Amino acid sequence: MTEAGEKIDFGSMNPTETALVIGGGVAGMQAALDIADQGYQVVLVEKTPSIGGVMAMLDKTFPTLDCSACILTPRLSEVSRHPNIALLTYSEVTGITGEAGDFRVKVLKKARKVLEDKCSGCGECVPHCPVQVKNEFDQNLGYRKAIYIGFPQSTPLVYTIDSDNCIKCELCVKSCDREAIDLTMEDEEIEIPVGAIIIATGYQLFDVTQYRRLGYGRFKNVINALEYERLINAAGPTMGNLMRLSDGKIPKSIGFVQCVGARDVQRGVPYCSRVCCMYGIKNAVMAKELRHDDVKNVTVYYADIRAYGKGFEEFYNMAKERFGIKFIRGRVGEVEEVAKTKNITVWAENTETGEFLKNEHELLVLCPGILPPKGLKELADNLGLDVSVDGFISIQYPASNPVDTEVPGVYVAGCAESAKDIPDSVAAGSAAAMRASITLARGGEP
Amino acid sequence: MMETEEPRIGVFVCHCGHNIAGTIDVELVARNARHFPNVEYSTDFMFMCSDSGQQLIKEMIQLNNLNRVVVASCSPRMHEPTFRRVVEEAGLNRYLFEQVNLREHCSWCHAREPEKATVKAQDLIRMAVARAALLEPLEIQTVSVEPHALVVGGGVTGLRAAVDIGSRGFKVTLVEKESELGGHLRNLSTMYPNNEKAVDVIDRMLIAAKAVEDIELLTDSVIVDFDGHIGNFETKIKNLKTGKTLKRKVGAVIVATGFEPFEPDGYYEYGNNPNIITLAEYEKMKKSGSVLRISDGRPPKKVLFIGCVGSREEGKKGHEHCSRYCCTAMTKAASDIKNDTDEVMVLYDDLRTFGRGHEEIHREARHKHVMFSKFGHTKKPKVCLKEDEIVVKWKDVLSDTYCEFKPDMLILTTAMVPPAGTDEVAKLFSLTRSGDGFFNEEHIKLAPLTTHTAGIMIAGVAQSAKDATDSATQASGAAAKATSLMARKNVEIESTVSWVDETLCSSCHTCVTACPFGAIEMVTTKDPPIAFVTEAKCHGCGTCAAACPSNAITMRHSTDAQIMSMVEAFLMPSAIKGGGD
Repeated sequence: MTEAGEKIDFGSMNPTETALVIGGGVAGMQAALDIADQGYQVVLVEKTPSIGGVMAMLDKTFPTLDCSACILTPRLSEVSRHPNIALLTYSEVTGITGEAGDFRVKVLKKARKVLEDKCSGCGECVPHCPVQVKNEFDQNLGYRKAIYIGFPQSTPLVYTIDSDNCIKCELCVKSCDREAIDLTMEDEEIEIPVGAIIIATGYQLFDVTQYRRLGYGRFKNVINALEYERLINAAGPTMGNLMRLSDGKIPKSIGFVQCVGARDVQRGVPYCSRVCCMYGIKNAVMAKELRHDDVKNVTVYYADIRAYGKGFEEFYNMAKERFGIKFIRGRVGEVEEVAKTKNITVWAENTETGEFLKNEHELLVLCPGILPPKGLKELADNLGLDVSVDGFISIQYPASNPVDTEVPGVYVAGCAESAKDIPDSVAAGSAAAMRASITLARGGEP
Repeated sequence: MMETEEPRIGVFVCHCGHNIAGTIDVELVARNARHFPNVEYSTDFMFMCSDSGQQLIKEMIQLNNLNRVVVASCSPRMHEPTFRRVVEEAGLNRYLFEQVNLREHCSWCHAREPEKATVKAQDLIRMAVARAALLEPLEIQTVSVEPHALVVGGGVTGLRAAVDIGSRGFKVTLVEKESELGGHLRNLSTMYPNNEKAVDVIDRMLIAAKAVEDIELLTDSVIVDFDGHIGNFETKIKNLKTGKTLKRKVGAVIVATGFEPFEPDGYYEYGNNPNIITLAEYEKMKKSGSVLRISDGRPPKKVLFIGCVGSREEGKKGHEHCSRYCCTAMTKAASDIKNDTDEVMVLYDDLRTFGRGHEEIHREARHKHVMFSKFGHTKKPKVCLKEDEIVVKWKDVLSDTYCEFKPDMLILTTAMVPPAGTDEVAKLFSLTRSGDGFFNEEHIKLAPLTTHTAGIMIAGVAQSAKDATDSATQASGAAAKATSLMARKNVEIESTVSWVDETLCSSCHTCVTACPFGAIEMVTTKDPPIAFVTEAKCHGCGTCAAACPSNAITMRHSTDAQIMSMVEAFLMPSAIKGGGD
């Protein structure tokens, strides 16, 4: 058993029996489970303190409005309890050498300053910590202490001390009955022999401040979609109460702007981000679902509605008909703030009627596109891989070998290959697991 | 044995963030539950499924010496396995756990009536507590897994899956009804996104298949019989040419039966002019060498494509879905044919070039001056035939103008629909179908490749419309599911199955015909014959127990006594000790 926190001698792992999965989001977790279920060992490296990825931050999922955390948490538990999976959270891959069947991977274990085998996740330390900083898990809308977990279902359930903000007052050390806190802990680098590697490093969202005209960062009531997800989430900073940031009022009229940082050659994002139409519609529906008596007007500004997946078109129709969401085909031109009310005026052209619109919304949500994650280029360089012009890992034969990279023994799953929704990332995670297990079974031979 | 032990029940009420606690007064519910019969402990908690929630259950089991656990949270479909494992880790049999679905059955559906919802929540928990008192431990059973997989369908999906399973070192049998492998790819010219020849894609798979030892590729063959249960299926495969059948024992199955392109009879004068063809017909033509008008054998000069033919039609059963591959396929075809043609026009509803490299194809097409025009979602173009001329009229919604175009070739981009025979496939493998006619997955988000029939996987278009890249991805993924099963050698099966009391069975056969899964047969070696349940095939539906006129069948984990106790608890609540709060 390799229960989270237990000491494992990573250096002595058998490379022909072990795979490395980089990234603990929904694709990486699936890949790890599907390899581990075959009886191989898996080392799952995740750079944040918990596995779960972006899916853990989402409120509901399209097209069924399943609660994201509710369907994800069994997966988190399954990964953390799997006897064949060793979790290395708060860790990063820093170097890779070798070849299929015999890679050597260097992993930097960042000093968590909390002992994984001692911390029970009780949270007794939290009230004692005097330092309060913004919680990145809540998109900086809420606060956490310098000793923290991002969210209640954090896996492993072990606290982390954020060294950048810790003032070393040692109040937490004194509060911990289990003596789990060690402020002297330092970063550690370990080397792990593995036979196959899966890149599942996910994505980052496009920085919407690049569109100055859309007002993000200038006007309080212009937010991005991930901030919106946290605002409507019961475990989020507002306990699930949808409100605008300027005055805490429930917005009666909400606009959603699609394709912000997608299908835009000038911003270097010529491609479609594949998920934004659907998460945009889902968020629009959620406004009505949560606050049907208060939210009178929900409008989505779009270029093409790309409801391509299973049940998507049906969901789009439901949004229009049952929830009365207004869909306007047209990119938003300019956004202004109404000085007195802090409402947002949106200038757009309805390209289907040729009409110029000046709509006032109390909240405007920008739906950003998907970019390759930070550090993907460096990781690819380390592996001797190329990234495509779009910045994602390139694939030579997409129709026949969609998860095989150009380096034997190295596979890719989820958004590291290109934007994908959850089921497509899960399928790709399983697919990469299959291909990696073949490499292991054949001792690295193609 | 547990029967001699007094039930000591713990009740754990979950907030599920706001999902439950936003409507139901969970603290009150948890407090009052303490007074129900046999309850020794009750509490409420933010997320029972989180590690700390699980830890709490385990600690309270130890501390209060609990021997039954009731968790009032969400649907057991997601978390029953989680909590069963938790009580097991605390030393209890997993079947001594009972889950109350407060979220889907109460807080979500009664969100506007919080007080009544709170009353209902207490009713539900009281009923569960009554049942929990009567729960019995059940033995955990496993069955072995035959290390041999069956793949149904030899298109890009089936081939990818079979090659992967074979390369991993397991036996695999692929069954394809056509004489050649490759499926629809055999009829395509070049493929998006990298303009690769479709034949090269098939060849790459076939070369890989040749290098694998234990792969059996059966063409001209169909499955005529399929029976058994996870790990141990038996199938009969018939060769359509020779008429011979052969049998295979397999442990896991991947259904990759694909699609057929929709035949657009009644749409846009299809069939009434030889130069009105489907995209599939265009691809066949292009693959065979050159695209020529069927009427006169000349290359077309003005080509028009219409998208969404048989897709995205609200209210029309089987045609409501988006077919996912067609926008990009149509855009690529338009871009390709523009090289040899004066005018190419594409009429679309929304242009869904969403995948990797798709938008680039779209942009290139526009760059080559392929014209794109958007028609209204409910105002499809009109096609009329004037002698030999095709006249297409529509309103371009973006310029608000009525347009007319006279193409000398009209290409209809038609939907992906389930192939003929899908009903039979569904019956053979006990699969259910979604609104689009394709097969249902186990969970639309997190389990897209497994189904509700254990041991049966789906991949590619069999699951829903998609292109080759996404199909091949699902194929490898489904192969991983099948391989995991075979690599583990054994698999646990549900113990909540029916059981026949031989002394009461009257040999009437009622249960044999009632069972929808064919899990019951008569043991004729006994006199009189006695009904016998194959537990691995039993889904625990309880139909047999209800149908049995002799009360000889007991549904384990849903016994008559357990169910009657819930009814009784609902109708006649025992007075709450101390009057509650």
